[in-house]
Amino acid sequence: MKSMNQFVDALKRLSVQISEVDYDRRGYHLEVSMADNQVREFAKAMLDNEFYLVFVTANHVKPAIEVVYQFAHFSTPCRVCARACVAEGEKISTISDIFHGADWHERETKDFFGVNFEGHPNLKPLLLAEDDADLKPLLKSEKMLKNVEEIRWQGEKPAKPAAAGKQAEQKAEQS
Amino acid sequence: MEITSFLPPDIIRMIVSAVVIISFVFLNAMVMTYAERKLAGHFQRRPGPMEVGSHGLLQVIVDGLKLIGKQLILPKDVDRPLFRLAPLLAFIPVVLPFIVIPFSEKLQVADLNIGLIFILAISSLNGMAVLIAGWSSNNKYSLFGALRSVAQNIAYEIPILLVVLTVALMANTFSLKGLVEAQSGMWFILLQPVAFIIYFIAGLAETNRAPFDLSEAESELTAGFHTEYSGMGFSLFFLGEYANMFVVCSIATILFLGGWHGIPLPFLEYTGVFWFLLKVYALLFVMIWCRWTYPRVRFDQLMNLAWKYLIPFSLVNFIITAIVLVIVKL
Amino acid sequence: MKSETNTQQNQSFTLNMGPQHPSTHGVLQVILEMDGEYVLDPQPVLGYIHRMHEKMGESRPCRKFLPNTGRMDYVCALPFNHGYVGLIERAAGIEVPPRAEYIRVITSELNRVASHLLWLGAFLLDLGAFTPIMYSFDDREQILDILEEITGSRLTYCYFRPGGVYQDISDKFIEGTRAFIKRMRSRFSIYEKLVATNIIFIKRAEGVGVISPDMARRYGVTGPLLRGSGISYDIRKQEPYSVYSDFDFDVPVGENGDSLDRYKVRVQEMEQSLRIIEQALDKLPEGPYLGKAPKKIKLPPGDSSFSVEAARGELAYYLVGDGSEIPYRLKIRVPSYSNLSVLPELGRGILLADLVTIMGSFDLVIPEIDR
Repeated sequence: MKSMNQFVDALKRLSVQISEVDYDRRGYHLEVSMADNQVREFAKAMLDNEFYLVFVTANHVKPAIEVVYQFAHFSTPCRVCARACVAEGEKISTISDIFHGADWHERETKDFFGVNFEGHPNLKPLLLAEDDADLKPLLKSEKMLKNVEEIRWQGEKPAKPAAAGKQAEQKAEQS
Repeated sequence: MEITSFLPPDIIRMIVSAVVIISFVFLNAMVMTYAERKLAGHFQRRPGPMEVGSHGLLQVIVDGLKLIGKQLILPKDVDRPLFRLAPLLAFIPVVLPFIVIPFSEKLQVADLNIGLIFILAISSLNGMAVLIAGWSSNNKYSLFGALRSVAQNIAYEIPILLVVLTVALMANTFSLKGLVEAQSGMWFILLQPVAFIIYFIAGLAETNRAPFDLSEAESELTAGFHTEYSGMGFSLFFLGEYANMFVVCSIATILFLGGWHGIPLPFLEYTGVFWFLLKVYALLFVMIWCRWTYPRVRFDQLMNLAWKYLIPFSLVNFIITAIVLVIVKL
Repeated sequence: MKSETNTQQNQSFTLNMGPQHPSTHGVLQVILEMDGEYVLDPQPVLGYIHRMHEKMGESRPCRKFLPNTGRMDYVCALPFNHGYVGLIERAAGIEVPPRAEYIRVITSELNRVASHLLWLGAFLLDLGAFTPIMYSFDDREQILDILEEITGSRLTYCYFRPGGVYQDISDKFIEGTRAFIKRMRSRFSIYEKLVATNIIFIKRAEGVGVISPDMARRYGVTGPLLRGSGISYDIRKQEPYSVYSDFDFDVPVGENGDSLDRYKVRVQEMEQSLRIIEQALDKLPEGPYLGKAPKKIKLPPGDSSFSVEAARGELAYYLVGDGSEIPYRLKIRVPSYSNLSVLPELGRGILLADLVTIMGSFDLVIPEIDR
């Protein structure tokens, strides 16, 4: 059984931003943010480390749509939440050939947000009807749309995030 | 007396027996439907039909009326003549065998000297009806059911034939009456237990009853070959199925269980009928019991059972019987 | 049904299974490319009962979304309740009194048993055995009666509240639950005799639809399907939420990952659930059943996730808050969605009857998949 630190080390090599978060408040252990061209590399690393894909979804914020991936591990309690930004009209690489389960999740994300996954073999509407392909029901209206800073975790309890930050620093020093 | 004067007695006999047989087929279907539903209920720890009449006795009649009153739906693109013909074709071959079945020593319409062969030949036609029904429905599920049914009938007719031949060899006759009379001393089930088991399993498959109801496997093929049938079209298949079950069980009774033989009851002239029907319905009970107990087998398993087990076993059984018979006669 | 897509070269044809078909359990359509009795390529078509629950979640205050959670997987609604209230509590930092957590565990586990019982009957019905469903419904009915007593509904529960549960459990509930546990334990031997030792059942289920651990990982298969493949992964153990860490229970696993193993795992899971319920009833603490939670729950900015072990696998809620009452983004990851996505790979080159077995062993609830 691998420990979480090993996963952190493995992911650090990918030059993605990675930080440990407070599981009790956030429900996952590692937060990853990456550029849209790092997605495949990251997914391969996750597969090599024997993670499974929990879901793929997106979140419509200013300035760009965030695609959210969540992974978890079968034997180590380690849940990873990864984000990649994809500007409107841009494409993001598919991971459906790495994690086959992502096939449907990506189709669903295309249905709801109109995110285009490059290299997806079958990006047809899945949950929506074929003639509703342009509906994109989960895109926010201009009035509702928030800036990305407004929905970031700010840590309303000062004690805990500081401790978490320290832990992360310690981890960083160890590595 | 008026009629008999200008009609030959044979014709009268034929008309009377036709009426009696057809009423018997309907009556049997009613009894069986009620028994099946009631027994299924009790196997499943529920009461079964209870509403119409005492203990739901009239339920069957009400259901029958409902089926008669229902519209016969002809789906688009079906082959109309064949689609209408199929239920009738399914009904006829199961009625004809009743002609030769000896219900008792005296109660038999006609004692053909090839009675056994006649029944086997006629009941093969049933597969044809199912195939026509499946083909003409223009529905893939129906076609699936029909193809399965035909393959199944062909596969299972062979062990049945071999087993029947074995018994005919022992009795040295094909006449059903002769076969029963040959068992006046000892029932053939005691001499041929393997043959009886093979016959019963193959009989279950031949009548498309669970666990071999592949042709109408509802979880796979919705309703198989009769998916598109409604009203009386459906109920003719239904009647046919029950009549077919009765025929198969009565052959089992004739071949193995001594037909009408039993303890003679002094106060009834036709005690044979009582014993015969008792044995047949006991077998039918076992059939119903199987249906509500076992899951369905898979198609390849069904075929394996016939070709790899039943046919070799019945063949070996046939050969051994033949050899033993030769030795005994020597 | 005309075979317009019939390709003459390879003699295969298309068969539409569903959305009205007895063994797709609802409105799932599977388009099958067939070669005789063999399935070449099954492609599920989803969305017939899509209701856009996520949009509903994002357009109303988070408390008002609670009834929706019971309507996704209506067979096992309480874990869906549980995941959602757990998520709100985690995001907004609401404390839950221990008694409420125990009640949640008891009712969730009862619901899990009910769900597995329904599956048991439905799966065997798919295999052509008509009788077991009557037995399992008989048992399930007892659970529904018990749960109706305190939740007020029999199927689409909305019993949990942020900070606790809607009402306290009564003595009648406790007695009824204890009586049910006793009854259910005596019933396992009946199922064993009726089903598990039946040669036809074993032959139908053994070796059918083998999911390897690697395949499970690639597709994100969770729940009894994954445990049938021999991986001991249960969120109740791995990331214990609520008070599951207080109880002593095992995670049953299979060996081969076939339909038979999935059957065994689910039956053993029912026994484990009964163990959990029993311990929870013994340890049930006194105290309030509903903690202090603000009437208008403000969800602080930031994302949080909450996973629970529903009857069919991992149910994950993912929430992005923006400081208002209304979630900015609510993602619901349902177990059957990922579980069903294995079907195209699993169903290649098998018999039609096996496809029915596999789909039966998946325990699909279509409204949950389509959301």
